[in-house]
Order: sequence, then C-alpha cells, then structure tokens
Amino acid sequence: MKRTLIALLASLMVLSSVFAGGAAEQTAATQDVALGSQAVEITFWHSASDEAGVLMDKYIKTFNETNPYQIKVNAIYQGQYSDATTLMKTIISAENYKELPDIMQLDATGKVDYFNSGKAWTVDDAIKEMNDDIIADYMGAAIGNWQFQGVQLGLPFASSTTITFYNKTLLEQAGWDRIPDTFEDLIQLRKDMDKAGITAATYGSVPSTPTLANWLGQLGSYVVNNSNGADATATKLECIDNGALETFLTEWKAMYDAGAVVNQSLSTNHFINEEVVVLTTSSSNVTPLLEKVNGKFEIAAGPFIRVNSSASYGATVSGSCLVMFDSGDSLKKKATWEFIKYLTGEEVQTDFAIATGYIPSYKASVESEAYKALLEENPQHAVGPDQLDKTPSSMRSVTVGPSADFYYAIMNGVSDMLKNNLSPKAATASMAENLQALLDQYARNNM
Amino acid sequence: MMKRKTKRIIGDTIVSAIAVAIGLVIIFPLIYAFFGAFKTPSEFLTPKLLPSSFTFLDNFKDALAKGNLLRYTLNSLIIAFFGTVVRMMISIFAAYCFTYYDFKGKNFCFFLILGTMMIPGDVLLVTNYLTVSKLHLLNTYLGVMVVSFISASQMFMLRQRFKSVPKDMREASQIDGYGDIWFIWRVLLPICKPVLTTLFVQSFINLWNAYLWPLIVTASSPNMRTIRVGITKLNSWEDENYQLVLAGVCISLIPSLILFIIMRRNMRKGGMEGSLVG
Repeated sequence: MKRTLIALLASLMVLSSVFAGGAAEQTAATQDVALGSQAVEITFWHSASDEAGVLMDKYIKTFNETNPYQIKVNAIYQGQYSDATTLMKTIISAENYKELPDIMQLDATGKVDYFNSGKAWTVDDAIKEMNDDIIADYMGAAIGNWQFQGVQLGLPFASSTTITFYNKTLLEQAGWDRIPDTFEDLIQLRKDMDKAGITAATYGSVPSTPTLANWLGQLGSYVVNNSNGADATATKLECIDNGALETFLTEWKAMYDAGAVVNQSLSTNHFINEEVVVLTTSSSNVTPLLEKVNGKFEIAAGPFIRVNSSASYGATVSGSCLVMFDSGDSLKKKATWEFIKYLTGEEVQTDFAIATGYIPSYKASVESEAYKALLEENPQHAVGPDQLDKTPSSMRSVTVGPSADFYYAIMNGVSDMLKNNLSPKAATASMAENLQALLDQYARNNM
Repeated sequence: MMKRKTKRIIGDTIVSAIAVAIGLVIIFPLIYAFFGAFKTPSEFLTPKLLPSSFTFLDNFKDALAKGNLLRYTLNSLIIAFFGTVVRMMISIFAAYCFTYYDFKGKNFCFFLILGTMMIPGDVLLVTNYLTVSKLHLLNTYLGVMVVSFISASQMFMLRQRFKSVPKDMREASQIDGYGDIWFIWRVLLPICKPVLTTLFVQSFINLWNAYLWPLIVTASSPNMRTIRVGITKLNSWEDENYQLVLAGVCISLIPSLILFIIMRRNMRKGGMEGSLVG
C-alpha cells in the first residue's frame, strides 16, 4: 500500500512538473516584454548574392550595431529564391516550424506557399498587433504586388519592373532618332538595320510568365482568373476566350517571320557585346549595364515595349519582398517588425537603389536628394519609376500554384510555335490545354 | 599495294585523331572555365577564348572572399570524404552478404534495394528531412551525409564484381581458419581494388556536387554550407558575373582533380575490368 502511494505521488509530481514546465514556457511565449528591455536574436533568410549580398551584409551589420533595442539579426544566405522557397516548403511540410526564420526574403514564386504555410505573420497581422500602420509610406505599385487574396503578405525590398534598353548608337546608324515603341516598330527597325548593313539581332526573347503577363496586361487581359491569381487562387485561364493570347501570338509570330526577334532569350551580355540592339530586362540592370558598357556605345532606356499601338503602356512590378513568420514570441515579433521597417525604410532603400538600380519602394527614398541626384546624372534610372507610376493598378503579376511548371510551359508553348511553324490559333489551343492542365492538377492536389 | 603496316598506321592515326577530337569536345567546358576565370569583366564579354593574361587573379580572390569558398571547401571535403568512406563500407558489407550468404528472401531484399534506384530524389526530400530532423541531426555534418550512406547502385556494382571472384577462395580462407572480415580485407578488396577506386571517385564527386540537400539540412548553420552553395553566392540575376562563377568552379574542381590524378591508374584498370564484371 505504502509503495503504491509513493508511486502514485511520484507520478503526480512528474506530471505536474511536466505541465508546470509547459505553462512556464507558454507564459514566456505570450508575455509582453518591452523591446529593448532585454537582448533578442532574430533569424533572417535572404537570397542576396554577389554585390547585393555584400550590401545586405553591410545593412545587417549597421542594424546590429546601431539599433537601440539590443536586437541581433542572424542573417543566413539560403541560395537563390527558388532554393529558399523549396527550403521553406520542406520545413512546412515536415511541420518543423522551429527551423523557420523570423523574416525571409521571397520572390513571387513563394507567395502562395507562404500564404498557405499556416505560420505566416502577415504585414496586416503585424500592423494590427503593433498598432503601427505604415502602408501609406510605400509606393502603391510596389506594395500592391505583395498582396494575395486581399492580404498584405510582405513589404517590398527589391522592386523592379521590366523596361526596354536600346543600343542608341546602332539605332542611329539604322536611321532611327527615336526609340521603337511597338512590335511593329521592331519589324521596321529590322528592315532599316538590314539596309544599313547591321548584322546584330534586333531583339531576342522567349516569353515567360512575367513577360506574358505584361504583354497581355497591356491588351487589357489577365493570364489567369482572379486578377492573375492576386484576389484568389487562380483556377482557369483568362486570356483564351477574350482572344488576348492569340492576338499576342499573332503579333509575336509576325515579328519572328520578319526576322525582328530570335527565338532565344538574349541576355545583358549579348547586349553589352553589341549582338542585339533591343533588350527587355529588369530595371535593376541599369547600374550594371552602364558600368559594363562603360561608354562603348550609348544606352537609351524606354518603357516596356508594347504589343501594338492600341495596347496600353506598363509592366508589373517584380523583385522581392520580406515576409515574416509567427514565432509565437512577442519580443521576437517586435524585433522582427523593427528590422523589416529598417530594411524597407528610407535609409536602406535609398542606398540599395543607388547601388543596384532597383526602384526604391519607400516614398521618402524616391524624394530623397541622393536619389534625385542619381536620376539627374543617369536618366535611364528614371524609366522604371516612371513606368510604375503609369502602369494601371489592374495590371498584376501572375500568382499561380504551379509557378515553375507554368513558367516553362509558357516558354515552351511560344517557342514551339516558332520552331514548328504552328499557326497562332493552333499554338493558342495547345498552350490553353497545357496551362489549364497544370492549374487543374494543382487544384486537385491542393484545394 | 599499301603495306599492312602502313594501313595500320593510317588507321591508328585516324582513330587517334577522332579520339582527340571527341576528348577536346568533352574537355572544352573545362578549358573554357579555366580561361574564363582569368578574364576581366570586360574581356569576358568578348568572343575571345584566351584571356589577355593569366596574371589577373582578382576573380579568384573575389570568389574566395564573396563566396566564403575556403570554409565551404573544407565542409565539402569533410562531407564528401567521410560520406564516401561510410557509403563504401556499407556497400561492401551489403554486397558481400548478397554474394556469399544464403538466406531466405535474399533476392527479394536485393531487388527491393535496387528498386529504390527508381525513386526520384526530390520525392524523398521531405521524408528524409523529417527523419533527419527526428534524429536531431539537422545542422550537423552527419545529417548532411546520412542520406547518402546507402547506395543501391554501389551495392549492385560491388555484388556483380564479388560474384566474379571464385567462391573457392573464401572456402580456402575459411579452411585456413580465417573469418569473413579477414577474407574481405586481405583477399577480396585487393582483388577488387580497381572497381573500388572507381566507385570511390564517383561517390566522392557525387557528394562533392550535392547542393539542395546540404542547403536544406544546414538551414540554420551557414558555416556548414558546401562549396556549391558558395558558388551560387557569386552570381545574381541582376548582374551576371560569370567570370567569378568560373573562378569558383575552378577552385571547386581542384580536390576532385587531385583525387582523379591519384587514382586514375586504378580507375583505368577498373574501366577495363568493367567488361568482365557480371
């Protein structure tokens, strides 16, 4: 009897200590500790490599040394955006949430996975919890790009848009004193280049998800429903019945048949090497392009080239944002909020824009003297912000579940049309079938 | 009429020329990488194959600094070497069992192991991560290596090679009073040295080139990253710095190259013996 009693008491003590431990842990997690009252460490995953990586290290070092709240940021490079997203998905699938960071740099391909992670601490959540509404401080187009289903997921860090660069020297040799504006202009430019004996390619591109979204957006159409997947999960194509995809493919094929576009994505290196006259690429390439060309020829920049003269101007925002995860620790969350505001705030955004060519997402950065001086010195830098300003708010980047497969299916669809000399109608039908199958498969597996 | 000897010389010359041409095609990416690593950024944009000078070492310096390549090379060495050693040991013992032991379900087990070769690595990513996480091996070298310890293809290759060794040799060593470990160590492995060398190099390179798994397992330990991760840090899509990447690639090739040079004689024998295997 005595033994049983002792055993019972011992079991009760063990159980109570277990529960007491749990309660203490819970109290620590939810306790409202004032920021700055004690040291706090947060983890930041980023994908900034090369020069951007050097800049990122500099910002983090500055923040760690100067923030008055005893916040220490542990920054970890997690490979390219797609690698970091794969890592995030793996951790979420394994439900090993303690491995998630407090804050992470993400591009558009990771939006849906982050939203569905169950551990997202969105900007909307943070604003509510911190009672600190900062949305109005950011450029509308830049911040709008990181909304999904009406929720502000993250804050823009590296914002860019696709613009067109021209080898102005070769344009002038071909007799052009203005920059081409439409596909039809490129066809005419090819003829003039031939007459002038210029052998360089006029333009080289294989449209993918972002570029197609831009060109169809100019024609007033989305690629997929629910505002290109921004308002709700995309379930069907929206560019087939309205004829937008076929119109685009018709114009694209006409350009190819005239020799004005090669069925290959020609890179900045081809442009620098004067192998191609027209280049559409991220506005963030302004600085490296100017540096690498180094006066060898004159560079002109203009808005993203239009499908035809009736199409509107504009291109969607691309780049990356910073998203936060719910650690369940109020002090860490406060520290994370301070850090995200620092990285997307005036000081960093101005410096990052000047050093890289990205567009500042923070309004005060755009108005800063340093940034204005940059625009004055290199007017090419102004094209991106101007274009963003003019881009209709309805034009949205594509957010779909099977983002990588969708990307390659579009490239293959357009490329195959040219390689196999398919009619735009046949290519439209083929692409419609393939792309819809990807959306259906994703819906079957995830909805 | 042309003499037989002359004909043979002409034939040999043609075959040699074709072999050299094919060899050049295969080795060209390496030559390109080597030359490209010495080019300045502006030189890299020109179609010239050769750099103007082989004294421009900034790419190597930048690659080492920006990509933290020294530390990552050490990590890759640890992972590739120890991972390969353990993998080889497990493969040797497993192949030995499948060759010399008779037990119920032997063939079933063997084909089950072979069947795992059909499963794509990506499918196993989450499952492996979960297992490694439950074993508390995340952010450890062991966690990076553990999923490579079992190699069905190596087991298969070794089993086929062991089968070509007469069983009488094992019986003879047993009659002399020696056990299995002695037989493996003193008789079997020396006979199979060429195949073992080939598999060692193959496995080392395979683990050396691993990218996604080490990245995922060492998510919270940036100092445990491998050299492939370091190389991705050298390029960004905003600014293509291929000359830096090529310098990083050249650095990453050094250990594999040294290993190949040390072991090439044995590997050549292994390649020739391969035709007899099975």
